[in-house]
Amino acid sequence: MRASKGVRRWLWVGLLVAFMALAYVPPAVAQDGVPRTVTADDVNAIAQKLYCPVCENIPLDVCGTAACADWRDEIRQQLESGMTEQQIVDDFVRRFGDRVVGTPQDPALRALSLVTPYILIGVGLLLTLGVIWRLQHRKGNGAVPPSPDPADAGRSNSSYYEQLQKDLEGK
Amino acid sequence: MLAEIGLVATLLAFFTSIYSIGASIYGERISRKEATVLSGRNAAILTFVLLLVAMMGLMGALLNQDYQVKYVWSVSSPDMPLFFRITALWGSQAGSLLFWSFLMSAFSAVATIINWRSHRRLMPYAIAYMMAVVAFFIGLTLFIENPFSRWWILPNNPVDSQVVDAAFIPSDSVAPGAVELASSANGLNPLLRHFGMAIHPPMLYLGFVGFVIPFAFAMGALASGDLSTNWIKASRRWALVAWLFLSLGLILGGRWAYDVLGWGGYWGWDPVENAAFLPWLMGTAFLHSVMIQEKRGMLKTWNMFLVIGSFSAVIFGTFATRSGLVESVHAFARSGIGTPMFLFWFSLTFISVGLILWRRNRGELKDDHRFTSILSRETLFVLNNFIFVALFIAVFWGSFGAPILSELLMKTNITLGKDYFMRVTPPLFAALYILMGIAPVSAWGVSSARRLGKAMIVPLVLTLLSLIPFYLTGVHTGGALVAYGIVLMAGWVAIFETYRAVVVRVQMQSENPLLALWSLLRRNPRRYGGYMIHLGITVIGIGVIGSTLFQMETQKTLAVGESLTIGGYSLRYDQLLKGQIAEDGRMMDIAEVTVIRDGQELAHLRPRRDFFPQTQGLNTMTISGAYSTVENDFYVLLVDWEPINQDAATFKVYINPLINLIWWGSFILILGTVFAMWPKELLPSRVRESALAGALVGKGA
Repeated sequence: MRASKGVRRWLWVGLLVAFMALAYVPPAVAQDGVPRTVTADDVNAIAQKLYCPVCENIPLDVCGTAACADWRDEIRQQLESGMTEQQIVDDFVRRFGDRVVGTPQDPALRALSLVTPYILIGVGLLLTLGVIWRLQHRKGNGAVPPSPDPADAGRSNSSYYEQLQKDLEGK
Repeated sequence: MLAEIGLVATLLAFFTSIYSIGASIYGERISRKEATVLSGRNAAILTFVLLLVAMMGLMGALLNQDYQVKYVWSVSSPDMPLFFRITALWGSQAGSLLFWSFLMSAFSAVATIINWRSHRRLMPYAIAYMMAVVAFFIGLTLFIENPFSRWWILPNNPVDSQVVDAAFIPSDSVAPGAVELASSANGLNPLLRHFGMAIHPPMLYLGFVGFVIPFAFAMGALASGDLSTNWIKASRRWALVAWLFLSLGLILGGRWAYDVLGWGGYWGWDPVENAAFLPWLMGTAFLHSVMIQEKRGMLKTWNMFLVIGSFSAVIFGTFATRSGLVESVHAFARSGIGTPMFLFWFSLTFISVGLILWRRNRGELKDDHRFTSILSRETLFVLNNFIFVALFIAVFWGSFGAPILSELLMKTNITLGKDYFMRVTPPLFAALYILMGIAPVSAWGVSSARRLGKAMIVPLVLTLLSLIPFYLTGVHTGGALVAYGIVLMAGWVAIFETYRAVVVRVQMQSENPLLALWSLLRRNPRRYGGYMIHLGITVIGIGVIGSTLFQMETQKTLAVGESLTIGGYSLRYDQLLKGQIAEDGRMMDIAEVTVIRDGQELAHLRPRRDFFPQTQGLNTMTISGAYSTVENDFYVLLVDWEPINQDAATFKVYINPLINLIWWGSFILILGTVFAMWPKELLPSRVRESALAGALVGKGA
């Protein structure tokens, strides 16, 4: 009973390995020289994540310059040769720097770019809550007097109408 | 001759604006002579008149095709139609700076005339600040980017430096031949040859320069010590006017990008777009926050910061766009105005913040009341302000902060693009919509969760009901449904609050519903105009979510007769009309395509690419063809980097769901803003009362 359990386990492992091997077959075949069909949409899917290295702030998939057409063609060739999206992006970053991607790949720059606004906003939120707390607990100033506003009224029509009229009359 | 008139008028305007500053301050603070103050006021008005003359001079030169004027030569050409000859006035740096100065002087003159009697104490200071900004911009026009500079030939110079441009006639010079000048004229940047560009820049400039008025009144209040709500009363409507134009400018810019830039979208998070969005964010925060000061006498310091921040953002954005700090399809060419603009922006912000802190330390900006409830409307408005400022920080950081700091500190050039903005901004926008849904039903002063919950029941039910059609039409992802729900909630609150007021008036006063609505809009335009703006923002939000989350695109090369399919549509390539020549000399390659759905031909579109043979530099343009319905836009581009002939034309097709709601929502937003800023009564109450008294006396007699 114990032995059959062990055999079964190994069978499962074997199946898993075989499945994973199968999953890797297409790129391997591509790397072996059998060309993969790459559509313009495949190219654009990657190009739209990159920026034109020459004209700043224009995504590569829509830039009309001849240089960008060549770069898109290069992406096509890279895809045909079996490179993954990340490999292609890394290749562009290695050659042209972090400005060709929408967020830098370099870990330090990426952290600086993405975390800083959250830190600033977090500090701002704390300050705002502090201001609200201080304004609620300040001594010496009177609390806000009532004011005519339909939202201040109860939900009954008559009190609502009363407040509405006061509000419209600017009282 | 026209150039000389323009130059002299600009020079005189420079002097009158400086005189206006001196006379206003000297008359009010030192000599205390009314005549001096009045002469300062009149000089401010004269500045406007002189800049009008200057602008007409440049316009005249453009219409007369006076190509000896360098600006005219660089932005127009003989084959350009009249319409683009007029819009060329703001087609490049020098002309747009003069136009900017003119608009700012116009705003200043109107604000001076309207507010002179009602806010006499603030006016000399406000005039001084307005004229300081106007003088700075005229200075840029005169000394760095002079649109009246002309071409001259110096025969005695070496061959490579014989052609020069100068505002004044150089000695031993001759004017170049008119024919040679006309044949070499550059023409307007092709991207600007679009109807949207006739309106988009002036609207944006009006929005930018409009913020000078609230800024000047705030500074006037700080300088004069009149820190009551007077400056707010004087400037709130101006802030709304500026906000209206800025909103219009942004919307038209989005439409222009959608039609002309050829990437299937309307907002690319480009630094220059963002530079215009920043003052809008700050200005929107101010328009909300100012209500708390008016109604409650609170947040006095904060409002000062917001109004100064709005104008500071305007100047910073102008500096960023025009100095070459950022590269963009929108940016002006690099020029020498960068350093003076940066110094101006820095000193303006420094002085303004210094003045606020000075007054605050003297205890003159103390709030009159305190908050009483965490769910009160004033608290929610403060949170709303926080979100706007957080968005400002996120957009500023992505557009300028991170790229500049990484270059300065790490010597690395980075771009934070759509990827960054789509990570950071959606939670903030969601928070903003949630607040937009809650704040209108919360009460001033004291409010409770229970009361708020009760007020939200009907809008909440309506929101859930209105999500059903979205679900039935294929929106099944939880994130998208939540996003739509948050946005719809804000809209339903605006609609329900208006509906309730109408119903109550119908019941209590037996009014016709339309008349009741009109009465509400007329008697409290600010509240009900504001609800309309919220509704517009909701409709825009639905369009943005749809077109962002569910956009589809494909690109394919087709021969005549072949088709591609996308999102249930087919596109058939029918024929190519190559080398068509338009009136303005552009050459057009037009593809004729048919849009088909379920076997039925829906539309014939003509996407095209234009080529401007006369223009140097960027000389091509991709014009889309679009089949629009409420459901989506079928948007086709003729890809301009692939070969085009009968055998092969490459098309890029986008399906942009709900995108038209963005334009419709924008229309509602603009309409709401017009209502919100419309005066309750066209005549001031004092005038009405005296007129009424006069009439009564007349009757009695």
